[in-house]
Amino acid sequence: QIENGKKYTINEIVVTGNTSFNASTIITFSRLKKGDEVIFGGEKVADAVKKLWGSNLFGAIDLYFINIKEDTVDIEIKLTDLPELNEVRVEGVKKGKIDEILEENNLKPKVKVTENLITTSKNYIANKYKDKGFLNTKVNIVTAEVKNDSVEKQRVNMLVSVDKGQKVKIKNIVFEGNDQLSDKKLRKALKNTKRKNPIRVLKRSKYVEESYKEDLISLIDTYKENGFRDARVISDSIIYHDDETISLAINVEEGEKYTFGKIDFVGNTVYSDRFLQQILRINEGDTYNGVLLKKRIANEERPDGIDLTNYYQNFGYLFSTINPVEVSADGNVIDLEIRISEGKPAYFNTVGVKGNDITNDHVIYRELRTRPGELYSRANIIRTIRELGQLGFFDAQQIVPDIKNPNPVDGTVDVEYTVVERGSSQIELQGGFGGGGFIGTLGLSFNNFSIKNIFNKKAYTPVPRGDGQSLALRLQASQLFQTYSFSFSEPWFGGKKPFQLSTSLSYSRQFLFDPVTTRPDRDRNFDILGITFGVATKLKEPDDFFLLSQSISYQNYSLNNFNSGLFTFGDGFSNNLSYTIALTRNSVNDPIYPTQGSNFSTSAKLSLPYSLWNGVDYDELSEERNSLDINDPNDAVRIGEIDQERFKWLEFYKVKFKADWYTEVTDKLVLRPSVEFGFLGAYNNNRGVIPFERFFLGGDGLGNFSLDGREIIQLRGYPNQSLSSPDGASIYNKFSLELRYPITLGQGAKIYALSFVEGGASVDRFRDFNPFNIQRSAGLGLRIFMPAFGLLGIDFGHGFDPIPGQIQKNGWETHFIIGQQF
Amino acid sequence: CNDFQKAFKSDDIALKFEKGTELFDAGEWKKANRLFEQIVPNYRGKPQAEKLLYMHAMSFYKTEKYFISGYQFERFASSYPNSEKQEEAAFLSAKSYYYESPIYSKAQEETTKALEKLQIFINSFPNSEYLTEANQLIKELDFKLEKKAFEVAKQYNRIYDYKASIKSFNNFLLDFPGSELHKDAMYYRFLASYNLATNSIDALKEERIQEAVNYYNIFKKNYPNSEYLKTADDLKKDLETTTSVTVANNTKS
Repeated sequence: QIENGKKYTINEIVVTGNTSFNASTIITFSRLKKGDEVIFGGEKVADAVKKLWGSNLFGAIDLYFINIKEDTVDIEIKLTDLPELNEVRVEGVKKGKIDEILEENNLKPKVKVTENLITTSKNYIANKYKDKGFLNTKVNIVTAEVKNDSVEKQRVNMLVSVDKGQKVKIKNIVFEGNDQLSDKKLRKALKNTKRKNPIRVLKRSKYVEESYKEDLISLIDTYKENGFRDARVISDSIIYHDDETISLAINVEEGEKYTFGKIDFVGNTVYSDRFLQQILRINEGDTYNGVLLKKRIANEERPDGIDLTNYYQNFGYLFSTINPVEVSADGNVIDLEIRISEGKPAYFNTVGVKGNDITNDHVIYRELRTRPGELYSRANIIRTIRELGQLGFFDAQQIVPDIKNPNPVDGTVDVEYTVVERGSSQIELQGGFGGGGFIGTLGLSFNNFSIKNIFNKKAYTPVPRGDGQSLALRLQASQLFQTYSFSFSEPWFGGKKPFQLSTSLSYSRQFLFDPVTTRPDRDRNFDILGITFGVATKLKEPDDFFLLSQSISYQNYSLNNFNSGLFTFGDGFSNNLSYTIALTRNSVNDPIYPTQGSNFSTSAKLSLPYSLWNGVDYDELSEERNSLDINDPNDAVRIGEIDQERFKWLEFYKVKFKADWYTEVTDKLVLRPSVEFGFLGAYNNNRGVIPFERFFLGGDGLGNFSLDGREIIQLRGYPNQSLSSPDGASIYNKFSLELRYPITLGQGAKIYALSFVEGGASVDRFRDFNPFNIQRSAGLGLRIFMPAFGLLGIDFGHGFDPIPGQIQKNGWETHFIIGQQF
Repeated sequence: CNDFQKAFKSDDIALKFEKGTELFDAGEWKKANRLFEQIVPNYRGKPQAEKLLYMHAMSFYKTEKYFISGYQFERFASSYPNSEKQEEAAFLSAKSYYYESPIYSKAQEETTKALEKLQIFINSFPNSEYLTEANQLIKELDFKLEKKAFEVAKQYNRIYDYKASIKSFNNFLLDFPGSELHKDAMYYRFLASYNLATNSIDALKEERIQEAVNYYNIFKKNYPNSEYLKTADDLKKDLETTTSVTVANNTKS
């Protein structure tokens, strides 16, 4: 009746079967229309069925040609809806886990229940518990139709019953056939499969098939490292003791022990045999160690390590290959030929960056260490990634180099760096009570600012960004004081060289607190005005991690009937004009969680030696001052006068040194030792050490109000600034050792835990200084870095020594760390 | 406004449709968009959906939400291949992507995408009334990519990496043979090679001066009347004097 290959016109489309969907919706969805021409078994029909299947809503779909006339046809679409999930009950697991299971398997009401859904859920849940050591987990899933349902659709309830059984522990691991390596050594090789042991706390004894399989490979690797290159696992079996314990029996065949014979290099023209041998560091007669050999040829764990491959890859030989070949195995001695195909040196052809939705090209390209026309170098690519990360505009973990179009014939290669912008602006808006009243703070800091777009309305998204400049504004005010500060810096002033120009301006006014009226006395105030100009240049010598910075700063203190602890006079002024020169070397690989590199800085801050020429006899003044009694009101006035003379222009020099190192001890676990030292001195001993610019040791290290040039030095385990005299110390030193472990280094937040031991001391005079007579502490802490908030942290430190003036050790202190990066 | 609130809060989808259409015709794109947003799922598969989806996409376009309008118009064009609005929707979709393209100095993924979409449009509707405009947009986007490559190459010269600059200009001239910046690129390539030559140690000078003179000759041959020519001539003269000095020095030693 129906003719194959004949075109029929659709007369009518009907939908039948057990479906709750609107017929017209189904027809539209099938893309078949009245009046369309169709062929039986043709593409159009097949597409309609495919489309309907694709909706995942139906359990059965049939398409019929009915009422076939001369050249017209009716089409019947017969459908059966898949049952929808109504309710799920999970049995046999903790309540808290139920939601997790439902979520992970997408067992939600209204989900269509297919066989596939049931099977995958079953397997997923079983594996989930097996991975946790519940080796005997059984999962059963049954569905039952909802009876007397008011809804037209077919719906089912689901029961998921989980029988976790007992947690299975490994009672024993038995090795057979191991004559050369001890059981102990082999058990150690199984990194994640361990025997029951009440002492071990970090790794639980459980059996997870996947990690067991991996461990068997590392078992063989252990053999290989010891010269047994033929070693293999002949069999391994699980012995079930009872529901709770199993034993593993592993039967190995060790084979013979091999040693390295002669090692020849073949094909090397760039480097001499001798040079390559020095990198390989494997000699004739050494125990054969395939793992070590592989590592010395190409160490995959350390892309910047010292190995043969890097000596080629870092100097242009992208297309080089290095293969060790065993040329003869005479008995147990293996002669090797290291065959090197050097290839043509490769040069970068195009170098690109993508993903910079905010930052302008010129800010990025100037930092690249791989440029068009240059010799290919893997080390330079790695360094580029590190330095782009350090800019702070991109997520350091997500910078990826894409090496494209390698062309061995022309000797060219392209590289494209993919970056992911990260929020580099911070807004601080806070209000709180402190210092006897309400304090409001507004802080804005933009680290990828674009000053040239400041009048461009379109660039406000929400602030003009992308030129790598930084701009910060901070306003803080309470009844007692007001502080305004502004700073700006451009890292490549002029755009030609990495010559940083920075400037900052600050002003603060403080009123005297009147204890009688309990209000600030607005007629008595203390003003500080500060201006700083600085420049910084990246150096090329001795290596290009160095930065030389210089700055000139001026501060003016002015007192109006204001008696503070800082000055012995209530009316007067003081000027601080100083020049700072600092040399720093920074080679850390990540600004937030460094795992490698170090940070050194040394600086000197100097004023002019005014006393050399201003003709004031400070000797006499000093003698007079010493003869006076500060508690005698008349004498106090005179002391004030003398001090005004001494502090008209502050005369001092200050030297500081600071260093910290970062080393990855094991995977991601980072050790950070650091030392620091500071000294504040006077050119003229009779004029004396100024009461400004001093060091305050102890506590969280957060400086909140530091316009007198004071330096707050962190020493956890003690109250803030408790380890220096009230006016501040002139010498300090500090040692610290920190161990850090990352909890997450994701994009949204970077979190790490740390533990530390540290110690430090500060004194007022050099003759009291003893770098080993320190106050010690130890403790634990946590740091959270989120792009919008900056750094937040908490440390619990235990001070082992008494703070000055006390006898008992200080004990526990809690420190909150906000916004400070170190 | 009251009518809008009523429609907005009502459960009557027909009322929302009607009011939305009215607002749409009156140019109240934002309000219309809010109403359409509510009812689009309800009309899926219904005959009115064609008009609704068009208006919905257009209301995004008019409120400059180009990222969404690009997607919505694209969907409309593929869902209703027989619609009389299909050509317009296809064009506006491509144009939406054009609007998403950022300034040349930032990542150009969107530019590349917009170029692709515009090209597809031109291929699908070779006789379209929007053809001139589409070509205009393509030209503008192409220029953005040229300008990007040009500025990067120029910056290398600025930061004293002359070799990278020359190499980048060479790549530029290969990649964009018909560029508006062709002349500038040839001039700046010469300038970078001049800088490289004059800042080289004596042993390398002669060869690099040769290369620079070569780039000068190519530039002059292509653009004999360029406004840069006078400066270029001066620089070339400078190179020639240096050459004689260097040659003299080299022969002496």
